[in-house]
Amino acid sequence: MSELFTIFISMALVNNFILVKFLGLCPFFGVSKKLGSALSMSAAVTFVMVAASAATWLINNYILIPFGVEYMNIVMYILIIASLVQIIELFIRRTNFALYNVFGIYLALITTNCAVLGITLINTNEAFSFIESMVAALGAGVGFTLVLAIMSGIRERLELADSPKAMKGLPIAFITATMLGLAFSGFGGIV
Amino acid sequence: MNLAVILILGAIGLGSGLIIYLANARVPHKVKGSEKIEEINKILPGINCGACGYAGCFAYAQELARNASTATEAPCTVVVQDPEALGCLEKALNIDLDALAINKKALIHCYGKSPVIFNYSGVKSCRAAVQLAGGYKQCPYACLGFGDCLKVCPQDAISIDREGGMAIVDCDKCTGCGLCIAGCPQNLIELVPAGTKIAFRCNYRPLKDIPGREKCQYGCTHCRQCFKACTDEAIIWNKDKAIPEFDIEKCTLCGKCIEECPQCTLELFTEARTEARA
Repeated sequence: MSELFTIFISMALVNNFILVKFLGLCPFFGVSKKLGSALSMSAAVTFVMVAASAATWLINNYILIPFGVEYMNIVMYILIIASLVQIIELFIRRTNFALYNVFGIYLALITTNCAVLGITLINTNEAFSFIESMVAALGAGVGFTLVLAIMSGIRERLELADSPKAMKGLPIAFITATMLGLAFSGFGGIV
Repeated sequence: MNLAVILILGAIGLGSGLIIYLANARVPHKVKGSEKIEEINKILPGINCGACGYAGCFAYAQELARNASTATEAPCTVVVQDPEALGCLEKALNIDLDALAINKKALIHCYGKSPVIFNYSGVKSCRAAVQLAGGYKQCPYACLGFGDCLKVCPQDAISIDREGGMAIVDCDKCTGCGLCIAGCPQNLIELVPAGTKIAFRCNYRPLKDIPGREKCQYGCTHCRQCFKACTDEAIIWNKDKAIPEFDIEKCTLCGKCIEECPQCTLELFTEARTEARA
């Protein structure tokens, strides 16, 4: 149990996907202007991360490893994640419209997100068990949500702040991201 | 060994495709009212181009199901081109769509024959040529024919002709997306309904006071002959701009205005289409 907790904390804070591993930077800057859309995006990412980790773990352990073709895992994972997201989108669209409108276009957008591919490859490299990879994916998703929420909160205030003209918009967001990264490096010694 | 790898990976790919196919065919529609949205979604092109202003075809279908008048306010330019798809959409939404009114075509307001007054040998781009004393033609508002509009057209519907100095729109290919409007530095292009009958080919506005830079001999002289010639009251004289405006409904295509025009400013819109095709 404490092992799982260590994995969770490590994925969420110490090895944060955005600020430490630099994965999923496109949504970090693209969708962090408003808190609402940032939360939608991170909910979709977390959901897809967990689902993709489960699917790729099964494929990896029951098909790729027994036949000795693990070296093709990047290609296979991309294919599996893409088709999985398609199916999930189809299900949500036909069963729960409110949920579909929350995820909206983000669900289709993250089929090719590097953070999603990243968590599946990390799970494979660390040789996690099924439960461990689920917890790792959840932790990574929570870390992603945390950083996106913090960033969008800061950016909503930055819009109104009196920043120099040349710094307005994206430049000041980059500087903010650097400071946020420095702050997160403080978690370095925890685990 | 290699063959086995190809087979295994191919099988996984094929399996994923099959699962998506089965899911699409078997998953029931449980949400109330979603049948209509799905039905509309099937008619839409499904390319998620976003030209209608909504986030993808499915979002557009949702909006259509909620409010059918969206089909005329923000028409799908791809559906409008295809009479069969348009008919299906009419049936699905239970409204009448006037294809000729919502289907827009680009119209270039220039005849393109303004005389060349100096030799321009710079960058082959209208935007660059305009920077140099307002272009190399006598009229400072003329089409320069370097094809800035042609480069942005996704349908390949614009060509350069009339002896090389003028962009011409092929109305069969044009979907009315309006990208060329922003591409033209002279602001010559306007979206008009596909049912337009008379094309007004002049853009001269007496604003720039440069000696030698008058309107060409083909441009509108504001003589109002077309307005006087029209027996169907289809031409309205716009006093602010001093140019004629045409009423598509009333125009009977008699061609009197074109005959009476002492310049080359008016021509048949449909004739211009066949000309571009030839």
